[in-house]
Amino acid sequence: MSLKQYIIVRLILAIPMLFILLAVIFFVLRIMPGDPVLAVLGGKAPKAVIDRLRHELGLDKPIIVQFGDYLVDLLKGDLGKSTLTERPVWDEIMDRFPATMELTIFAFIVALAIGVFWGAEAAHRKDGPVDVAARVFAILMYAIPVFWLGLMMQMIFGAYLRWLPIGSRLSPAVNLKVITGFYLIDSIITLNWTAFKDALAHLILPGTTLGLVISSIFLRMVRNNAVLMYSMDFVKAARARGIKERVILYRHVLKNAFVPIMTMMGLQFALLLGGAVLTETTFSWPGMGSYLVLRIKYRDFPAVQGTVVFFALIVIAISIIVDIINALVDPRVRY
Amino acid sequence: MPEVDRFISSRIGKALKGLFGSSTGWITFIGLSILIFYVVLAVFAPYLAPYNPVKRVGRSLHPPSHEYKFGTDNLGRDVLSRVIYGARIALVIAFLSVAIASAIGIPLGLISGYIGGLFDRTLTLVMDAMYAFPGLILAIAIAALLGPGILNIAISIAVVYAPTYFRVIRNQVTSVKNELYVEAARAIGAKRWEILLKYILPNVFPSVVVVFSMNLADAIMTEAGLSFLGLGIAPPTPDWGFDLSNGRRFILSRAWWALLYPGLAIITVVLGFSMFSEGLNEFLNPNVREKR
Repeated sequence: MSLKQYIIVRLILAIPMLFILLAVIFFVLRIMPGDPVLAVLGGKAPKAVIDRLRHELGLDKPIIVQFGDYLVDLLKGDLGKSTLTERPVWDEIMDRFPATMELTIFAFIVALAIGVFWGAEAAHRKDGPVDVAARVFAILMYAIPVFWLGLMMQMIFGAYLRWLPIGSRLSPAVNLKVITGFYLIDSIITLNWTAFKDALAHLILPGTTLGLVISSIFLRMVRNNAVLMYSMDFVKAARARGIKERVILYRHVLKNAFVPIMTMMGLQFALLLGGAVLTETTFSWPGMGSYLVLRIKYRDFPAVQGTVVFFALIVIAISIIVDIINALVDPRVRY
Repeated sequence: MPEVDRFISSRIGKALKGLFGSSTGWITFIGLSILIFYVVLAVFAPYLAPYNPVKRVGRSLHPPSHEYKFGTDNLGRDVLSRVIYGARIALVIAFLSVAIASAIGIPLGLISGYIGGLFDRTLTLVMDAMYAFPGLILAIAIAALLGPGILNIAISIAVVYAPTYFRVIRNQVTSVKNELYVEAARAIGAKRWEILLKYILPNVFPSVVVVFSMNLADAIMTEAGLSFLGLGIAPPTPDWGFDLSNGRRFILSRAWWALLYPGLAIITVVLGFSMFSEGLNEFLNPNVREKR
C-alpha cells in the first residue's frame, strides 16, 4: 500500500468512529435525566416560554429526527447558536481554539523536553540516582491534581516572588493585533516585541504546570523504551565499534525507541485536553476549557454540547495524525 | 489488563514497585493506614474537628496559629475543620461512583462477552468511543446537565469509568467462555444465567476487585476536578476541590494555607488508595508480576 492509499483508508476508517462518538455524545446528553430547557429557564418559567424554547432548540421533535438534524448540521459545520450571546457556537469556539492550542503545544514541548532528556539519562544508568529521582517525580506528578500544582505555582511565582503574571493571556496595557489568535506568532508577525515578551510571560506558568503533569508519562515511556533498546544487539555492536556512550544514547537508542513512544503520545492527548480544561480555569486562560465551564454556569446548552463535540473532533483528528506520522516513519505499518 | 494502565493507581503502583522492589507488603500497609486514617476522619468528623466547618469562627484569612491550626478561609471558617469534613464528600462520592460504574459496566460486559454477535460488536464500539474520549470533559458535560448533588456527581464520574469495567469483564468472559469447565456446565444442562453467574463470574471476580480498588483514586481526582470547576456539591458543604477554587481568589493576598491543606489531603488520599490497590493487585494476581 502506498502512503497515499494508507492515508485514504485511514480517513475512511475514521468515519464510523466519528459517527459513534457523535452518537454517544448526543444520546448520553439526552438520556440523562436533566432537561436542557429547564436548565436554561429554571423550574418556575411559564409553560408557553418553556415550549417556545423547546421548539427553538428543536427538542419537541422525535429523538431520531433530532439526531438526524444534529448530524446534518454538523456536516455543514453548524454547532447551533449560543443561547447566551446568540452567536454561532462554531465562531465562538474558533475565537478560543488558538488559546487552547497555544497552551497545549507549549505544555507538550515542556513535557517532551523533560521526558526525553530525563528519561534518556534514567535509562542510561538504570536504577541510578537519576532513575530513582525520576520515579519519585512520577509518583508526585500522578498524585498531584493539575489545578493544585497551578495554584501553588501562582502562589510561589506570582504572589510571593512576583516574577510572572498569574492569569489571562496578555496584560491589559499591551496592544496586539490579533491575526492567527496564537499570540506568540501574532506578535512575531507584527514585530511587536513588547507583546511577545508579555504573552510569553503569561504562557510560562500555565504551560509549565500542564507540561509537568504530562511529562511524567513521557518520562516513563522514554525511559522504558530506551531500557529495552539498550538490551539490543545493535547497542553492543556500537559499543564494540568504540562509539561514545552519549552518541549511542542519543543517536542509536533514542532514535529507535521513538516510534512506540510517538504512538503512546497521541493516546495521551486526551489526557492533555482534560488537564487543559482544569489549567485554563486555574489561570483564567481564555481557551475552550474555560469557555465550556463558563457556559455551563450560564446554562448555555448549545455551547456546552458544541464544545464537547469539538473536543471529540480533536481527539479523532489527533488519532488520525498519529497513525499517518507512524506510517511515514515506519513503513511496516502500511502493510 | 491493559485497561487499568490508565488509572493513576496503576501508574503510581508501578513507580512504587520500581522504588521499593518486592517489598510490596510495606506499600500495602502504608496505603491501608492512610485509608483508615481518612475513613476515621470522615466517620468521626464531628468529634475530631475543632470547629463547625460552615460557621464563621474567627477573622477572615487568619494565618495558621495556635487557635486555628490550618488558618481560616475568606469567610472566617476553620480550614482544618473543613479539611476533616471534606473527607466525607470525597470518600462517599468515590465509593458511590465506583459502585455505579461497576453496576453498569460489569453486567453489560458479562452479557456482551457471553452473547457475542452483533450486540457485542455494537456495545464494544460504543464503549470504546467513550473510553477514547477525554474523561473529565465527558464528566463535566454530564454533571452540568444533572446539576449539583452527591448522586449526580457520582453518576457523572461513573459514566467515565463504566467502559473500563465493561472492557475488562468482556475480554475476560470471551477468553473464559470456551474453557472446558464452562463446556462441561453446558453439557450437564446448566442454564445460561447459571453459567454466567456460577461459573464465569467467580473467575473474573478478582479482576473486578482490582479495577474497583484502582478506580477509587481516579474517582477522587475527578471529583476534586469537578468541584474545583464549580460542578460539585453545592456550598457551603466542605469539599476539597471547591475549597481550592474558593481559595484561588485570594492568591494575591498570599493566603497559602487555604490552598495548601485541601490539596495535601487530595494528594495523600490518592496516594493511599494507589498503594493499597497495588498491594491488593499483587495479592490477588500474584503470578502476574510486572517486569521492572
